[in-house]
Amino acid sequence: MTGQAFFVLTALADGPRHGYGIVGEVAELSQGRVKLKIGGLYGVLDRLTAEGLIEPDREEAHGGRLRRYYRLTRDGRRALAEEAELRAATARVVRTRLGLAGGEAAG
Amino acid sequence: MSGDLDLEQRYRWVLRLLPGYYRDKWEEDMVAAFLDSWMTGDPDEDSVTMEYDRPTRQEIASVVALAARLYLGGAGTPRRYFAWGQAVRLAVLAVVLVHATQGLAGLTLLTWRRHLAGWFPALPASLAGPVPGGAWPAVMNAVDCVWIVIFVALVLGHHQTARVVAALAVGVDLVFLLQAQFAGLLLRPLGAWSSWFLFDFALVLAMAAFHRDAPPAARRPWLLALPGYFLLVPVPVLVIQATGNQAWLPDSAGLGCLVVAVACLAHAPRALSRSRSGPAAGSGVWSLALTLLAAAAGVWRIVSLGSYVHDPHLIHVGLAELLILLAAVALVVPDAARAQTAAPAPPLYPRPG
Repeated sequence: MTGQAFFVLTALADGPRHGYGIVGEVAELSQGRVKLKIGGLYGVLDRLTAEGLIEPDREEAHGGRLRRYYRLTRDGRRALAEEAELRAATARVVRTRLGLAGGEAAG
Repeated sequence: MSGDLDLEQRYRWVLRLLPGYYRDKWEEDMVAAFLDSWMTGDPDEDSVTMEYDRPTRQEIASVVALAARLYLGGAGTPRRYFAWGQAVRLAVLAVVLVHATQGLAGLTLLTWRRHLAGWFPALPASLAGPVPGGAWPAVMNAVDCVWIVIFVALVLGHHQTARVVAALAVGVDLVFLLQAQFAGLLLRPLGAWSSWFLFDFALVLAMAAFHRDAPPAARRPWLLALPGYFLLVPVPVLVIQATGNQAWLPDSAGLGCLVVAVACLAHAPRALSRSRSGPAAGSGVWSLALTLLAAAAGVWRIVSLGSYVHDPHLIHVGLAELLILLAAVALVVPDAARAQTAAPAPPLYPRPG
């Protein structure tokens, strides 16, 4: 799973969001490190939809335009949880090797 | 882009870069998200923004990158775009394979010239010549060998590494060409520049087809193709040169035409049998890839003929090579055309994890 896909799925973990809502949430989650452009965002959304990890939720009118919201599917929630676990385990190993707090207990 | 357009229309104009099927599905959504990213809620400010602002270069670049990924389709894209994507990937691999075998041939010649392998026979006079000194020959030898690394990286799926190293190699080639051009050392500048443009610069751009959704290359056949092609083409060429029969060899553009023509002839039975048994019998992407390679080889041949305007004999030879190429590619073109219209869309490829 790419970093962008991971952040997009995380942005949808606590509820449906529309396109620009996802951009803002990803920027916040990544503390400004990941700034999705619209072309990049819809590349990711298209791929995640095709893989069955997200799906359209609803449409809402806003400023004379329709905003389409997306939500995680059950597969998406499971994939995100597995990826988060994998990343957390990797982070624990790194912290242990660097001798930082929060690493795996020695022995 | 007309100055009368507002921000929304300007963005829609950029989105026209995307394939129609994708715009049908996502355009309204993309426009809404794009405008959301610009609007502040203040009617005056938003009105000025709509009238005078334009999509940023990064925004346009993201749409261009998306368009490249969609047109050079991978898993999950419609048949037509998948066929083009596969054909470009095969053509890129074939051209990188040729570069890599040239690197092997250069390495062989260097080993021979410098007596680095005791079991090699004595270097024939036709290949001896002066051993070039200075930095450039060494750099160019190294760049030729780097293509072996690029080929292996591409086949093994290290696409980003292959792209970056290829861009560096092509950049060094460009510097070498410019230096040779200004020093008046290029014997056939039209051939050299068209070769760089078609098989170096365009090649690196075409490597965009190796994106995340691209199915992996068939490793074993492609890795076996490296020694196979080396033994079939560069080694016989070296033998012909070593035996003093260079006069029988076509120039590089002519050799390119003949190699692609032979590949078309070898593939023709499959392409023709597919046309008899219907579109379900295969994808036809190899026919499309060979057509692309034939087009590139043909353009190279035509442009490089400009260097022979004072030698009617070489012009006739070049035209004969073109004719052979055209006759051979005509056998696979109908199958290539069918590759784009065959009905079934490819499935999504399973991803690990």
